[in-house]
Amino acid sequence: MTVLSLSGIGHAYLGRSVLENIDLSVAAGEIVALVGPSGCGKSTLAHIAAGLTEPRAGRIDRGYLRHAMIFQDPCLMPWSDAADNIAYVLRLSGIRSKQRQNRIAEVAEQVALEPDDLIKFPVELSGGMRQRVAIARALAVRPDFVYFDEPFTALDVALRRRMQDLVIETCSASGTAGLFITHDLHEAARIAHRIAVLDTRGHGVVGERRLEGDPASRSDTDVFRWVQQALTNDALFRHIHDVDERQIA
Amino acid sequence: MQAPPSHRPKLAARLADRAGRVLQFLWSGWAGLAGLCLLAALWQAGHEAYGPFILSSPLATLSEIGALAADPDAWAIALLTLQRAVTGFALVSLVGVVLGVTAGYSPATMRISIPLITVLLGVPPIAWIVLAMIWFGGSDATVRTVIVVAALPVVFLGAARGIATRDRGLDRMAEAFGAGPVTRFLTVGLRQTTTTLFPALALALGTAFKVAVMAELLANAGGIGGALADARINIDIAQALAWVVIAVALLLIVEYTLVQPVKGEIERWRHAAQPWGVKR
Repeated sequence: MTVLSLSGIGHAYLGRSVLENIDLSVAAGEIVALVGPSGCGKSTLAHIAAGLTEPRAGRIDRGYLRHAMIFQDPCLMPWSDAADNIAYVLRLSGIRSKQRQNRIAEVAEQVALEPDDLIKFPVELSGGMRQRVAIARALAVRPDFVYFDEPFTALDVALRRRMQDLVIETCSASGTAGLFITHDLHEAARIAHRIAVLDTRGHGVVGERRLEGDPASRSDTDVFRWVQQALTNDALFRHIHDVDERQIA
Repeated sequence: MQAPPSHRPKLAARLADRAGRVLQFLWSGWAGLAGLCLLAALWQAGHEAYGPFILSSPLATLSEIGALAADPDAWAIALLTLQRAVTGFALVSLVGVVLGVTAGYSPATMRISIPLITVLLGVPPIAWIVLAMIWFGGSDATVRTVIVVAALPVVFLGAARGIATRDRGLDRMAEAFGAGPVTRFLTVGLRQTTTTLFPALALALGTAFKVAVMAELLANAGGIGGALADARINIDIAQALAWVVIAVALLLIVEYTLVQPVKGEIERWRHAAQPWGVKR
C-alpha cells in the first residue's frame, strides 16, 4: 500500500523553476531516502509533500493518518522547557493534559531523555540533546509517517550515528514510514529501504535503488560496501557530490 | 494503580522556586537603592553650593513629601495623574501592539506606516498638547491623547520588529504539526514579539508619566502638572521638587509592580541561559 504518492510535482521560486516532473511514492512501513547534491530542491520537495509549501503543479496523495517532521534546525521554542516543547505538539493534536504527561514520559524514555533534561530550556541543552528533544517531539504524536529534512547535518559524526541508530530502531519497531532528505549517501544507505536520486537541477527523480534487507539488520560492512560500489560503479550517483554554491534553495 | 509519571517538580518545590525568584528580585533592590543614595548625595552638594532658594535640600524635600502625604487633597492629585498615565499607557499599548503586529505580518503595511511614524515622531509633543486642548479642553482625554501620540511610535516599532524578525522555522514547525494560522500567531508569533516589545513598553510607560505631567501643566488640567504650576507661581522650590519625586516614585512603583514581574516571568528562559555568576 502506498502512503505517500507525488506525481508531476513542479515548483518555482520567483519565476525560476526549482522542481519539475517529480514522481515519487513511499509504501507503508518503508523509509525512502531522497538524495541529491545541495541546492537541487530536496528540502523544497519535502516541504511540498508535508503541505508546508504549495506546489505550482502536480498532485499529492497522502494515505497516512498523521505525519511528523524533524528539521535540520531542531526548531524548539526557546521560552519553553523540553517537556513543554513536546507538550506543545501533543496539545496541537488534541491530547488531554493528563495523557500528555504520560506520553511525554514515554517518548522521553524512548529517546533516552532523563527527567532532569526535560525541565531544561533549549539554551541549556547541547546540540545533540536538542535534536533528541526534536525527535521525541516528532515521535510523541504517534505518527505513521515522518518527514526528515536533513535532520542530522549539523551534528558531529559520532552524534549523527547515535541519532541514526535511534531513528532506525524506533521506525522499524513501530513500522513507521518516512521520507528522509539527505545529501549524505552513507546516511541514506544506513537508514533507508530505498534510495531515490533527485536530478541536479531538480528535473525529476533520475533513478532509484533498493537496498537489501532491513535497515535494522544491516551491518556497517554491508553499508560501507554498498556505498563504495554505488560511488564507483553506479552512474546514478555520479553527480551526488556536485556543489554549486551559487544556487539558492 | 500507580500514579502517572510526571516531569513536573512537586508543588512545594515550585513554590520554593518562585519564592526564591521573588527574594532574588527584592535583593537586587539594594543596587538600586545605592544608586539613589548617590543621586541624593549629588543633590545635597548642589543644595550646599547654591542655597535653599535655588535647590532645597533632599531632607527638606522629604519633609515636604511627608506633609503632602498627610493631605488627602494631595493624594487625589497624585492619583489623578496616576490614573491618566496608566490608562493612557494601556491605550497606547493596545493600539500600538495591534497596529505593530499587523505591520509585522504585512510588509506593505510596514512600508506605508514607516513614513507616518517618522512624521509622528517629527511633530513636537507640545503641538499635540495645543491641538488636544482645543479638541478636548482640560480633561483626561487631552492627557491620554498626548500620551498615545507621544508613545505610539515606540510601541508600534517594538511590536512590528518582534513579528518581522521572528524565527520562521518555528512557524514552519508549528504548521508541520498541524497548527492553523491563528494558533500559530497566538502560540508562536505573539510570544516572540516580547523580546522587542517589553523594552518598548517600559519606555512607553516612562513617556506616559512624563507626558501626563507636561500635558497637565500646559493644559491646566489639574493633577501633578497642575500642582507643579501652583508651586511655580508661589516659587515654592521644595514643593515643586516634592511633586517631581512623587511623579518619579509613581512611575517606579508601576514599573516594578506591573512591567518588570511580567517581563521576568516571560523571559525566565533567558535568565536560565546566563552563567550563575552574572545573574541580575
